[in-house]
Amino acid sequence: MPDVEFRGVHRRFGPVRAVDGVSFAITKGSFHSFLGPSGCGKTTSLRLIAGFEQPDEGDVLVAGVGMGGVPAYRRPVNMVFQHYALFPHLDVFANVAFGLRQRSPRPTRAELGRRVDEALALVRLAGYGDRRAWELSGGQQQRVALARALINRPTVLLLDEPLSALDRKLRRDMQFELQTLQRDVGITFILVTHDQEEALSMSDSVAIMRDGRIVQFGAPNELYDAPVNRYVAGFVGETNFLAGRVVERQDDRASVRLDDGRVLAAPLSAGGPGLAVGEAAVIAVRPEAIQLWPGGDPAPTPLDQMFEGHIESRIFLGDQIEFAVQGDLGRILARAPKAAISVRGDLVPDTPVRFGWENESALALADV
Amino acid sequence: MKRAGPGRRRAIVTALLLAPSTLWFVALLVMPLVVVLVFSLGERAPAGGYQAGFTFANYLNLPARLTAFTNTLTLAPVGTLLCLVFAYPLAYFLAVKVKRAKLMLLVLVILPFWTSFLLRTYAWIILLSGKGIPSWLAVVGIEGVRLINTPTAVLIGIVYGYLPLMVFPIYVSLERLDKRLLEAAADLYADPIATFRRVTLPLSLPGVVTGCLLVFILLMGEYLIPQLLGGGKVFFIGNALVDLFLQSRNWPFGSAVAIALVVIMIVAVGLATRWAKHQGATREVSLL
Amino acid sequence: MNKREFLYHLRRYQQGSISRRQFLGATGLGVASAVLATELGLRPRRAFAGDIGDRVSLCTWPSYHDPANLEVFTQATGATVEMTVFGSNEEMMAKLQAGAAGYDVLVPTNYTIRDYASQNLIQPLDLAQIPNHDPSAHDTRFTGEGAVDGTVYAVPKDWGTTGYVINSSEVTEGPTTWKEFWDLTQTTHSGRVMVHDYQLTTIGNALKYYGYSFNSIDAAELAKAEELLLAVKPHLFGINSDYKPSMLSGDAIMSICWTGDAVQLRRENAAMQYVLGREGGEIWTDFYAIPADAPNVKGAYALIDYLVTPDINAKEVLFHGYPSTDARTNALLPKELLEDPILYPAAEVLAPLEFGATGLITNEARAELFARFKSA
Repeated sequence: MPDVEFRGVHRRFGPVRAVDGVSFAITKGSFHSFLGPSGCGKTTSLRLIAGFEQPDEGDVLVAGVGMGGVPAYRRPVNMVFQHYALFPHLDVFANVAFGLRQRSPRPTRAELGRRVDEALALVRLAGYGDRRAWELSGGQQQRVALARALINRPTVLLLDEPLSALDRKLRRDMQFELQTLQRDVGITFILVTHDQEEALSMSDSVAIMRDGRIVQFGAPNELYDAPVNRYVAGFVGETNFLAGRVVERQDDRASVRLDDGRVLAAPLSAGGPGLAVGEAAVIAVRPEAIQLWPGGDPAPTPLDQMFEGHIESRIFLGDQIEFAVQGDLGRILARAPKAAISVRGDLVPDTPVRFGWENESALALADV
Repeated sequence: MKRAGPGRRRAIVTALLLAPSTLWFVALLVMPLVVVLVFSLGERAPAGGYQAGFTFANYLNLPARLTAFTNTLTLAPVGTLLCLVFAYPLAYFLAVKVKRAKLMLLVLVILPFWTSFLLRTYAWIILLSGKGIPSWLAVVGIEGVRLINTPTAVLIGIVYGYLPLMVFPIYVSLERLDKRLLEAAADLYADPIATFRRVTLPLSLPGVVTGCLLVFILLMGEYLIPQLLGGGKVFFIGNALVDLFLQSRNWPFGSAVAIALVVIMIVAVGLATRWAKHQGATREVSLL
Repeated sequence: MNKREFLYHLRRYQQGSISRRQFLGATGLGVASAVLATELGLRPRRAFAGDIGDRVSLCTWPSYHDPANLEVFTQATGATVEMTVFGSNEEMMAKLQAGAAGYDVLVPTNYTIRDYASQNLIQPLDLAQIPNHDPSAHDTRFTGEGAVDGTVYAVPKDWGTTGYVINSSEVTEGPTTWKEFWDLTQTTHSGRVMVHDYQLTTIGNALKYYGYSFNSIDAAELAKAEELLLAVKPHLFGINSDYKPSMLSGDAIMSICWTGDAVQLRRENAAMQYVLGREGGEIWTDFYAIPADAPNVKGAYALIDYLVTPDINAKEVLFHGYPSTDARTNALLPKELLEDPILYPAAEVLAPLEFGATGLITNEARAELFARFKSA
């Protein structure tokens, strides 16, 4: 039985369709993410699960039980809020104990103390009980919010952009901690984020949303390898899109005529709909699939597609270098490991270069 | 000596900067109080007013106004409490529930302040008199209700007149309240009542305390409402003072009553502040 | 309370004229000022009076001057009349005692004039500057107290009595004495009677219950009066000199009352009857005087002279309903007014009335007694 299920859920705010006919099921004990730009409906989806919003149509089920008419305070879910929403008038202990104190039968004092200590230990904040929320660092507040939610042993833990207020380093640590925690406690985590890296690295499943609808629901590698369309491909990683129209279709591949008349061929995405001849499409090429070498040299390996241009800029990304190439195809991003032979010191801006890729490493996608 | 130079100059600058506010404080607060204190030890001149003297007779005579003191010390706290009871839901509604037209509703709350207080209270005289509310009650079978010239009428007038003073501080503290905290409480199984009791109310305490102090302090000196709606039968310290200064012109005794009022107020406000600070210390809410 | 009635009260309030003597004042709001009869869309033009300044400050009682008269004065002289109304003589004196009140003309009651003069709060009048005042036209019974030891400090305005008003549709006993007034208050009509928030009349008429002088300051007699007042207090509807609204609304059915208020109440409700207690009570005269520190003495004389002019004064009487002391004015008034028993009571009830006694306004014993009564 899925832990959380949406069946044709609609939620409108005036003319805005925040959630527009969404259905999905999240596997019990999994780590799921809603990914999308702001206004895509991911936060509203989370609030529909929490009970802060009620669907205009459709059903929200938690652990198989319909939540229609069940107020937030009777739902077996807990939330970690974007800015933590810790109670400023209560100390850490009272914040963490808040949920348990509302349950009946109310736990005994000793039981309460034990459970709070346990929860604080779980988030590595043992001994912080008498601190005030505002005396803690962002990361610590984040962990108090987690403890405050987890102590209730909810069926589902909801996380609303929980890491957005943290700096990069802390964010990485917390991502790791969250994953570990989820494995340890074994309950379903549902994360809302606009950070694709976060979603892909932590989740068992990801729902990519756009304008109140789920564009694609799947495991991170499915989304990366087999995006349904240009939108998903663009969201799960940096990609070069070459737009045109389908001029030829075979079973699993398509040829696309670009606006400048070139025809490029690429396999269809496994997750995408079959493209029809005449349909708008893009050829998507990941920067890391593009090879690049100095203009006068021969291709290091034979490639299906080869073009010319010149380096516009180069950016070091730690272990990789990213080049922007201006040329036949307009502006193209290419990325190569620093150790690669082709990345030489003479590939500086304004250097004439050639570049190309294997058709198999590109994808033909619907241009939506 | 060289090092003392800048320090002394700084001290002089500080003193000069503080001078206006110190003067202000002395001129507006200390001096009048000293005058009142001196008067309270004097004697009534034969034709009324003040005549120099040194006697505690005025203070010993204070029990002659005992009823005024007890009336004030019961009706002022009760009035404050009633204001709170009526103001809180209103402030809550304005701050939390109202989305649109908030400004307009806020203006409506203070709108009565744009007309004369006397005129408004006079309207209440008409409403509370026999041909007003009691006559409407009689229509639905509740006969013989008397409102005007009773403590109830005075309390109605107090709630009416002082409500905005209570509404606004509470409104501000509720407005500042992070609405996500209410969702957080609901998320943690607190039903609306528990959410109010454990989150909303404690976090709005600063406004409640401010409002209560404001209303209570002003009520302690109130005289117009008891005069108009109490028909001279509900007598506050303020009425005693008005009579002593404006009718019998017994300035020394009036000064003694005024000093007694100030002392009572200092004690009452001191206790309230202490309680609020205590609450603040235990709940970590800055109350004052 | 219907709409018409409410608007009526509202309008009277806006005129600063809810009742005689005590609305704003006795309520403690003695400093409340009402500026009336100013430039009502008409630009004042300078006329005969020449330079009397641009404003004259008149310190008087509510409902006591016809705004139209003051307007004419402003048009004629260019000086606007700034009117401040008070609730009681005590309050008016308290304001002057405090100093620098800035008033030009004062309307004190007879018994206070000697006290004002002895405290140098008012100045002797130069009658040559009030040519329209003719002493010979006044009955000396009403005017004597305007002069203190031969020096004229005040000229008479009008006179009146203090009795009580009954709503005869409810008070059917036909009371004629102060004894009945106080007894009915404690029995049949408990909870529906009002007394003035004014020591002179309330204590004075309580003294009449025992047949003592209205003006008594005898300790034993005052003690008896206090005993009566304290016994009566729980039975009172209110202690308020603004008794007209309560009488009209029916909340109160009997109240201590002044001549003009009785006239005005009867205009509203024919069942209102004015009773002068047979034991006696107060008769009084109000005067015009000029404070010692009046900022605009010239303007003060001009205003007084204008208001005592017979034809102007006649209009005043028609407005406020108090009888004039001036025979020339009376000659201009309609017959029915001059025969009204409220304004001109029968000689036998008029005879036992007493003028308020000098010194009562500053008497501490009576002031304290009244304060004890109010705060009990």
